[in-house]
Amino acid sequence: MSTATGYNFAYLDEQSKRMIRRAILKGVAIPGYQVPFGGREMPLPHGWGTGGMQVTASVIGEADKLKVIDQGADDTTNAVSIRRFFAHTAGVETTEQTAEATLIQTRHRIPERPLQADQILIYQVPIPEPLRFIEPRESETRKMHALSEYGAMQVKLYEDVARFGHIATSYDYPVMVNNRYMMDPSPIPKFDNPKMSMMPALQLFGAGFEKRIYAVPPFTQVESLDFDDHPFEVQSWDEACAICGSDHSFLDEVITDDNGSKMFVCSDTDYCRERVEQGFVGTAADLPIAEVGTN
Amino acid sequence: MAVSSHELIAGFTDPVQASQQVFRAALKVMSEPGTLVDVDYVEEAPKGLDQSTWQLTLSLLDPDTRVWLSPTLAANDAVISNLRFHCQCPLVENHGEADFAIALHSELPLLAELNWGSAEYPDRSTTLMVQVPALSAEPFWTLSGPGIEHTRSLRIAGLPDAFRAELIKSRQRFPLGIDTFWCCGNQLTALPRTTAIEPLNTAQEAC
Repeated sequence: MSTATGYNFAYLDEQSKRMIRRAILKGVAIPGYQVPFGGREMPLPHGWGTGGMQVTASVIGEADKLKVIDQGADDTTNAVSIRRFFAHTAGVETTEQTAEATLIQTRHRIPERPLQADQILIYQVPIPEPLRFIEPRESETRKMHALSEYGAMQVKLYEDVARFGHIATSYDYPVMVNNRYMMDPSPIPKFDNPKMSMMPALQLFGAGFEKRIYAVPPFTQVESLDFDDHPFEVQSWDEACAICGSDHSFLDEVITDDNGSKMFVCSDTDYCRERVEQGFVGTAADLPIAEVGTN
Repeated sequence: MAVSSHELIAGFTDPVQASQQVFRAALKVMSEPGTLVDVDYVEEAPKGLDQSTWQLTLSLLDPDTRVWLSPTLAANDAVISNLRFHCQCPLVENHGEADFAIALHSELPLLAELNWGSAEYPDRSTTLMVQVPALSAEPFWTLSGPGIEHTRSLRIAGLPDAFRAELIKSRQRFPLGIDTFWCCGNQLTALPRTTAIEPLNTAQEAC
């Protein structure tokens, strides 16, 4: 794809990139702490991943290969637009394959395939403050982080236990990073939380609306909050992926007609494709997938 | 002090790409503390600065960053002129006010006197860049913490004993802390505030 003219490499001007880069370095030095930064206007609305895009724009270089996913899929509107944006403004190579990518910008999923050292995972974050729904004042949440005063979140999880008998929070599940800062992992399903801990890849988080950047360096402990008698658990399914037969990936429920028929498929489309290429088959393998999609 | 134009040298040939590459090197060493990387995007550095220090300043400093220079550097016309010309960074005399402090290994400020940020905003602390005579992965310091799977070895030559002791002790104040870059020739490494430092043994610590 041809590179856009009239813009700097990767859209942002150099001064903005330097400011964001300095914020990223501080974020990496204080794992899980939210660094305020001067968020810039991007040519798409807040809520479409402007925070992640500003981080990507500041990190990306000519040699990078970019993958963008939205809920695990490479071919949804948000992922396609952002991938095209960087192909256009930075002229970088893009890919849909997790193993090939050096940078992966993600909305609300971590790829199923384990990430490697020197890959960078960039999360789009809507609300970076895990305590915001408990305490609306920024001045107070700052103090709570400074004093490591996180009891209120345990109370919130306990309310789940009291009401439902188990911790009902299923995404955006709060974590403790390096035993110090409570962090919002962005609205990834709690299924993905364990992947964050001791991950060989660098994880960067960008919140455009709230203008915060935070980070988890490689090989850093990330623990999901829980109780001794209600340990942290991830979702599981009785079904396997209808396309690739995977019984260990995060599954999406897809309604296939008006009579209540449904199937479960991998949310990570690249992982599913990889498994099909390796010869794995699911129950719907004989169905033409295109037809399933159009019903 | 004004800029002396006869001291000016060229910066990056391709400022956009080179700044990005140097930042990625800085990100690599900051997120994997103690890793040694080479940065090689300039022909020369102002007399008195190592090439890695010079490239870091070109990549990270601008009019928004207050910079403190250790006495020898602050008296060096080539360093000051080039920083003023290429980065337009304000130079401050009091190291407690600096966002970035650049020091020779023999002229290190007391860590305690740098800006440590506050409990609410620990990111506002000074980042210290130190030029040292040698960097290597010899087993001298054993590093552990975020960014290090098990442990990593690092030897930074030429540091005064008192400074080493202060640096090791400063870990107790986390999340407050001073993040450091270490520069030697083209080599670069970093020790953020999270990295725990274990000297090999006290006998070697003294040499």
